[in-house]
Amino acid sequence: MTIKHESQKIAEYFYTFAVVLFLVQVLVGIIAAVQFIWPDFFILKFNIIRSLHINAMVVWLLVGFMGATYYVVPEESETDLWGLPLAKLQFWATAGTVTAVVLGYIWMGLNPQANSPIMGINPLNEGREYIEAPRWADILIVISVLTFIFVNFMTMMKTKKWTGIQGTLLGGLTFLALMYLPGLFYTKSMVKDQFWWWWVVHLWVEGAWEIIAGALLAFMLMKVVGARREVVEKWMYIEVGFVMFTGILGTGHHYYWIGTPGYWLWVGGIFSSLEPLPLLFMVWDAFRTTRSARNVTNRAGLFYTVAHAIFNFVGAGLWGVIHTLPQVNKWTHGTQITTAHGHLAFYGAYVLLVLSMIYITLPAIRGVKEFNASRAYQAFWWMTISMVFIVLTITGAGMVQTYMERLMGLDYVTVKATYNLWFWILRVIFGVGFLYGVWIFVVDFFKLGREPMPAVSAVPGEA
Amino acid sequence: MSNKAARNLFIFGSLFFFVIFLGMTYDTLGNLDKRAPEITDEVDAGKHVWHKYDCIGCHTIFGNGSYFAPELAKITEKKPKGYLKKFLMDPKAVNPAAAMPKFGITADEADKLLAFLDWSSKVDTNGWPPKPILAVAAGVAGQELSAGEKVYRAHGCSDCHIISGIGGTSGPDLTHVGAKRDRAWLIGHFKDPDDYVKDSAMPKVEAPEADIEKLADYMLTLK
Ligand code: HEC
Ligand code: HEC
Ligand code: HEM
Ligand SMILES: [Fe+2]
Repeated sequence: MTIKHESQKIAEYFYTFAVVLFLVQVLVGIIAAVQFIWPDFFILKFNIIRSLHINAMVVWLLVGFMGATYYVVPEESETDLWGLPLAKLQFWATAGTVTAVVLGYIWMGLNPQANSPIMGINPLNEGREYIEAPRWADILIVISVLTFIFVNFMTMMKTKKWTGIQGTLLGGLTFLALMYLPGLFYTKSMVKDQFWWWWVVHLWVEGAWEIIAGALLAFMLMKVVGARREVVEKWMYIEVGFVMFTGILGTGHHYYWIGTPGYWLWVGGIFSSLEPLPLLFMVWDAFRTTRSARNVTNRAGLFYTVAHAIFNFVGAGLWGVIHTLPQVNKWTHGTQITTAHGHLAFYGAYVLLVLSMIYITLPAIRGVKEFNASRAYQAFWWMTISMVFIVLTITGAGMVQTYMERLMGLDYVTVKATYNLWFWILRVIFGVGFLYGVWIFVVDFFKLGREPMPAVSAVPGEA
Repeated sequence: MSNKAARNLFIFGSLFFFVIFLGMTYDTLGNLDKRAPEITDEVDAGKHVWHKYDCIGCHTIFGNGSYFAPELAKITEKKPKGYLKKFLMDPKAVNPAAAMPKFGITADEADKLLAFLDWSSKVDTNGWPPKPILAVAAGVAGQELSAGEKVYRAHGCSDCHIISGIGGTSGPDLTHVGAKRDRAWLIGHFKDPDDYVKDSAMPKVEAPEADIEKLADYMLTLK
């Protein structure tokens, strides 16, 4: 495999930045895990570490999507990217903004007063989960995303080959950009604050991002197993359609207890319970397509793609649905059960998605036909097994917390500091296992296609 | 189904559900103010302080946020303001085991934060958080409580103190307090903790003399 259009190489810039941030995310994640046992462990306190952990994640996944899109759109449009210099500028501007935001968090960690409002605006940290980035950075991020969408749109306009995949991809990205806006204004009411906040968070991960995932899944199945476009695209429409039909009103599962009217208990409960179905379609789709495949060109890529589909369903679908009914959520809301779900969902749905795209497109970008996939598998198993155990550990902690704090009425701090202590210790251990997996992946990313192939290929029977 | 039909299903179906969602959003926004007290300037100022120190980076409010520290929406119902104010300004001075850092919150900022948290405690959250059912069930089953234990429960002492593993961690563990303090100290301390412990964050026990004595008797049984 080689790339057809020189400008697709820009994807690698984005991948590289994504991979570095992934490593940062996991390193600070381990610090956060240690702080559960030993709160004063590091000069930066838990809130700063956690902001870094979740922001690094959101940003690297977004940057990964951008890289993937810059690869997919020229391929689908059969032409070079429109405005490559603009795309490069967009990359450097994004990297610069993100670095400045990170430095700002660290500064605030060292000196909390540095975040005192300037003309009514907090300069370093907005103090809102996931969208901590301060207002000036929000504006730069919006400009970056708009530039990115514009470049891709203009590329499509060059040949006007409106393939379903790129149309859906761009649709998902536009929806993503639009859903950032409800997080951009201040409301005096904490209830309204959280109401709009969930538009960003929920309609991203259970709306826009799933559309992007559906489109990229279709693209990968086509590339890797040579599936027919008509078939893949039809199923893609059905899948992302059902994601939207259930996910939009499913937002109601966040409107049970924040001061919003009671009818959301019904709407949120019913629609969000259906959300796992389209994710199950995707798993079925991946298996069906793979079975009918004759010529697999990139086994590691296919492996990651199928794993993505499965863990999207398990993490988002199953671990989501267990606590989505109001009768259950009443007891589990705001406990470690939520954390467990958040980890497996983000890992399964989006980490594995970006890694699949990297394994499928990077060999072409680097111009290699074949690569030694043994590190890719090793990284996968280290990361996945560790993540599954992290999630089981936190699920255990969540069950203990739900029982002792919510049902028995014991104090939060007592439960956290005594009854759940072993879970926190185990989580650190599995976290280190995960870090090891990420390290193997990072090494693989930088070495892939740049070292001589060993005499015995790890993928026997491959041409 | 043709590809085109599938595509139209996706596009128009999504729009259909989004329009319903917008309609419900409109209705919800119209209802919110009735479900919460009025937002005064002080409450709003408190919300700004909340964002400035990134409290959500450790705590949840209405159950959303981080899971490193206790839920705060209804904290002012559970603990007296005088105590909370001292804690916010210097957590370790109140409770040497506290994990919350000292951020340099000023007295003025603490008052604003408490106004904000007072507001959040009065929002109608459809009954969340629920009362712990097992604790309620145990209360109904009703063990025989001593007179002092009843006072201890009625005054919510266990929100801040632990006896035999049960209770909050804001104040010292009382499991063996009877071995440490005498009756006079206990009674004097209940009436005015500040007289006995410099800058004490424990609220005065506002109760009739008889109840205070029962409480002291109960404490003395804890050895
Ligand atoms: C670095 C994490 C962290 C941050 C940031 C933080 N807290 Fe805390 N807070 C804690 C922890 C942990 C506890 C539990 C008691 C303890 O161990 O200190 C706590 C306890 C509390 C309590 C309850 C005390 C009690 O006895 O029940 C209040 C009130 C509180 N915090 C308010 C705030 C406010 C307001 C902010 C923002 C200005 C804030 N916290 C920021 C970690 C944090
Ligand atoms: C808002 C939290 C809070 C509440 C409610 C509270 N206390 Fe305290 N208590 C403290 C703190 C903080 C201290 C430590 C400072 C001091 O000794 O004054 C303390 C100290 C004590 C001590 C001294 C313990 C020792 O080892 O020196 C006793 C006894 C005590 N409390 C009993 C009670 C009783 C009985 C009640 C209920 C009427 C109660 N407390 C309610 C916070 C609280
Ligand atoms: C890939 C998709 C998904 C991702 C990445 C994801 C991630 C998350 C995260 C991070 C949170 C916690 C937010 C916070 O910090 O407050 C959360 C909450 C929640 N998610 Fe998901 N989720 C996904 C899909 C789903 C699905 C499909 C369902 C239901 C079927 C679901 C049900 C829930 C529920 C009920 C909560 C609220 C938990 C609480 O009460 O605190 N999620 N999700
Ligand atoms: Fe959700």
